[in-house]
Amino acid sequence: MAKKLGFLVNIERCIGCHACEISCKSFYQLEPEMRRRRVTELPEDLVGTPVRAFVSTACNHCDEPACKNACPVGAYTKREDGIVVHNQELCIGCQMCGKACPYKVPVYNPVKRKMDKCSMCYERLDVGQLPICVEKCPLEAIQIVDYNEVQPENGVSIVPTFADPSITHPTTQFILPKPGKQTRRSS
Amino acid sequence: MLKESITRRNFIKGSASLTALLGLGAASSQAPKGLVPKAAAKTNGKVQQFYNACPRNCYDTCSILTTVEDGRITFITGNENNTYTKGRLCVKGNTYPRVVYSPDRIKYPMRQKGRGSGNWERISWGEAYTIISKKILEIKKEYGSTLPICLNKYSGNFNILNYATEGMMSSIGYTTRAQGTPCDPAGSDAQGFDMGVAYNSDPEHFLDADYIILWGANPAWTSAHSMYFIEQAKERGTKLVVIDPLITQTASKADEYIQIKASTDGALALGMIRYIFDHQLFDKNWVAENSIGFSEFFAYVNKNITVEWAAEKTGVPQAVIERLAREYATAKPANIWIGFGMQRHVNGGAMVRAIDALAAITGNIGKRGGGVNYIGGETWGFNYHTMSFGAPEGSGGEADRMVNMNNFGAQVLAADEPPIKMMWIACRNPIAQDPEPNVVKKAFDQMDLVVTADLYMTQTVEYSDIVLPVTTPFESVGINVSYWHYWMNVNEQAIKPLYEAKSDLEIAMGLSKKLNELAPGSCTFPTSGNPKEWVEKELNDEIKELFNIESWEDLRKKGGTAKANEKITVAWEDLKFRTPSGKYEFYSKKAVEYGHHPLPVFTEEYKAPKEYPIRCMSPHWKFGIHSQFQHQDWLMAIQDHPYLEINPELARKKGIQNNDIVKIINETGYMTLPAKLTKMVPPDTVVMYEGWWKGVNYTENITVKALAEDMGEYQKGQRGIAFHDNFVNIEKA
Repeated sequence: MAKKLGFLVNIERCIGCHACEISCKSFYQLEPEMRRRRVTELPEDLVGTPVRAFVSTACNHCDEPACKNACPVGAYTKREDGIVVHNQELCIGCQMCGKACPYKVPVYNPVKRKMDKCSMCYERLDVGQLPICVEKCPLEAIQIVDYNEVQPENGVSIVPTFADPSITHPTTQFILPKPGKQTRRSS
Repeated sequence: MLKESITRRNFIKGSASLTALLGLGAASSQAPKGLVPKAAAKTNGKVQQFYNACPRNCYDTCSILTTVEDGRITFITGNENNTYTKGRLCVKGNTYPRVVYSPDRIKYPMRQKGRGSGNWERISWGEAYTIISKKILEIKKEYGSTLPICLNKYSGNFNILNYATEGMMSSIGYTTRAQGTPCDPAGSDAQGFDMGVAYNSDPEHFLDADYIILWGANPAWTSAHSMYFIEQAKERGTKLVVIDPLITQTASKADEYIQIKASTDGALALGMIRYIFDHQLFDKNWVAENSIGFSEFFAYVNKNITVEWAAEKTGVPQAVIERLAREYATAKPANIWIGFGMQRHVNGGAMVRAIDALAAITGNIGKRGGGVNYIGGETWGFNYHTMSFGAPEGSGGEADRMVNMNNFGAQVLAADEPPIKMMWIACRNPIAQDPEPNVVKKAFDQMDLVVTADLYMTQTVEYSDIVLPVTTPFESVGINVSYWHYWMNVNEQAIKPLYEAKSDLEIAMGLSKKLNELAPGSCTFPTSGNPKEWVEKELNDEIKELFNIESWEDLRKKGGTAKANEKITVAWEDLKFRTPSGKYEFYSKKAVEYGHHPLPVFTEEYKAPKEYPIRCMSPHWKFGIHSQFQHQDWLMAIQDHPYLEINPELARKKGIQNNDIVKIINETGYMTLPAKLTKMVPPDTVVMYEGWWKGVNYTENITVKALAEDMGEYQKGQRGIAFHDNFVNIEKA
């Protein structure tokens, strides 16, 4: 059976440090303002007791990628293993994909005048290495999962700030934090 | 490697087998290569890898692997040979390529016409050395000594070779020195009185703890690699308790978070101790065999402390204190990590002594996975060869003169006979990082010459006469150890220095050469030398044995990083304390010698003045270490300005809404910054984070007074600063 690779992001583990985002930016030598992965602050009351919580997201390598459908030059392909690949050689920089993506994943590279997005480091995967963000997270909070083989316990497809998954069927899943006990002085 | 990475992961608690997670590259026909092909870097040239060491003032002091293609750094990441950092860097370390190739680097020596004017002109190294040397010689002639020259250097780069700057100053004669540390002094004195010295266990041993209390520590932001071990321990069933006035990122991950009134931690520890005494939960054998003064301490607690009183004092309900005390006393082993922030109060040292006592009475000291962990220096036994040359013959004065780094501005202004006329600043940014920055500026105004060596145009460089461009770690040689973990890291030169940058060691040699040209014999520092030979001279037989290496070169060949012998990684395992009695001292005559109560007694916190009722704390920020890193554009792209965290209740009282500009003020100064309404801070406290945001006129210290901590002289020469006893008022601007 074909694979269905996707990110599994453990918000319980995530400390919102952005090392995933910056190691990716460093490895791919992206322009300072460009991000293939981004860390978003979640509402404080996400789990009931107030906490600092973050979610790290990149391309969601959707089952029905809106970017691919919007691209006028066929620069997007979806591999058999589920990875949505953007071919920069073909890209004309029209930014239609960025507008179509509910997660605003494809971003414009102002120097190359082309779009850019997370490739799940398929070149690394293909030689048996993990994506940079997975390998470099200091808390091991990001993982690649074959969702055709594994349904992680507690995995959910939506968190606050994340667009409705029924539009493009993203493969990313999240593990929500468990509330701890708190003794607070007031409010 | 991939397989290992996957089997390490255990957060999927599903029924699937591990091999089902990912195809392990089986889909590919391509063989793994040594270096991963990159989309961005297509090179036909030479690809090399080097070991580097992050030298910043940080627990984690990472071993780094640097990839260089055609002489240019293309990737910087963690060295996988290190089991503490596991090949991963924190967010700051991941910005290093940008640190090196930043458009903001200072490229060549410059002279400013009019301090603070921005009217800089490029000069040559020869001109810079000549101006500085002539001023040194002129001062020496006029005052009969070099004491009017003041060095302010500290923690911006802990490469052992960077002590060349101190060595250079010692080599011109006796000078004035900024002494002490803003970091850990009160707590280090406390542990010094109790145990002889501060000595922490290996943070990798968090895995062996049954119970962990992070007491005023926020490793999620300040020690991400420790946080990994803590999270691993948690998943194995270790309970994580965080005690902190703020809901920090670390507190957000705790099994139990206890919000305490700031600066009352000593009362909480003593209240727990009273409960433990009352319920016979203390380790009678341990205290009988390993301590002195226990009966005096026992009597003090029984006479003066009740749990009810502790509850009132700390804001922590009595039932919570009792449960916490019982859990801590019955867990074996239980581990406490005391954060530096917790002791940045006028009673910081006393609070650390009380927490130490809690660990001692429960017999947790000297046990693997236990301990009362704060800071350590067991691996720092280098030769410090760069500081070994001594004053030249005919130097005036008899010894260096000390001013307190923590009250630098005022003490420089007060120095007399002779006054201070010249400053050399390296590895520091005092105009932004010191308390009372306006007083520091006044001290600068009194100088004939201010020389600052730095990478970037910091607030201090902006107020200097001459700036000397220095190298990043990747452009020079060195060696580093940590004050927390037990690794030693090689720093190789990965690339040629950019522009005209020089290391502090090269600057010391260059200045000495010029001084000796102008006045032969005026500086004893060597005028030339190979940095690799210099670094080899730092290693002696003891440190080589401790790390099982033959030389710096041997360490490099062995993978760039080595761990100290396991025998020293459990603090006080031999229970031979370095106190005068050789025992754990509940009763410390050394403390009396320094003007303190002999016992770990309760000491009152600093009270808010009526006009300034709001506590303003300025903890470390996740994108910076002091004023380093946050100003880089990679991080500015994430967060481009500082903000003030305000509890919604306080904000409502003050009519402040999210993103409103707020004025924060006290008798020392004021500033404005945007509000961020959050329940992460209590209603009587506001929080602004430490850092330098490029293009933003900001220092978190503008309202911070040079209010001394209770301790520091014993271990550090000077008391520290009660940074968190900063009281202000706020209003909508």
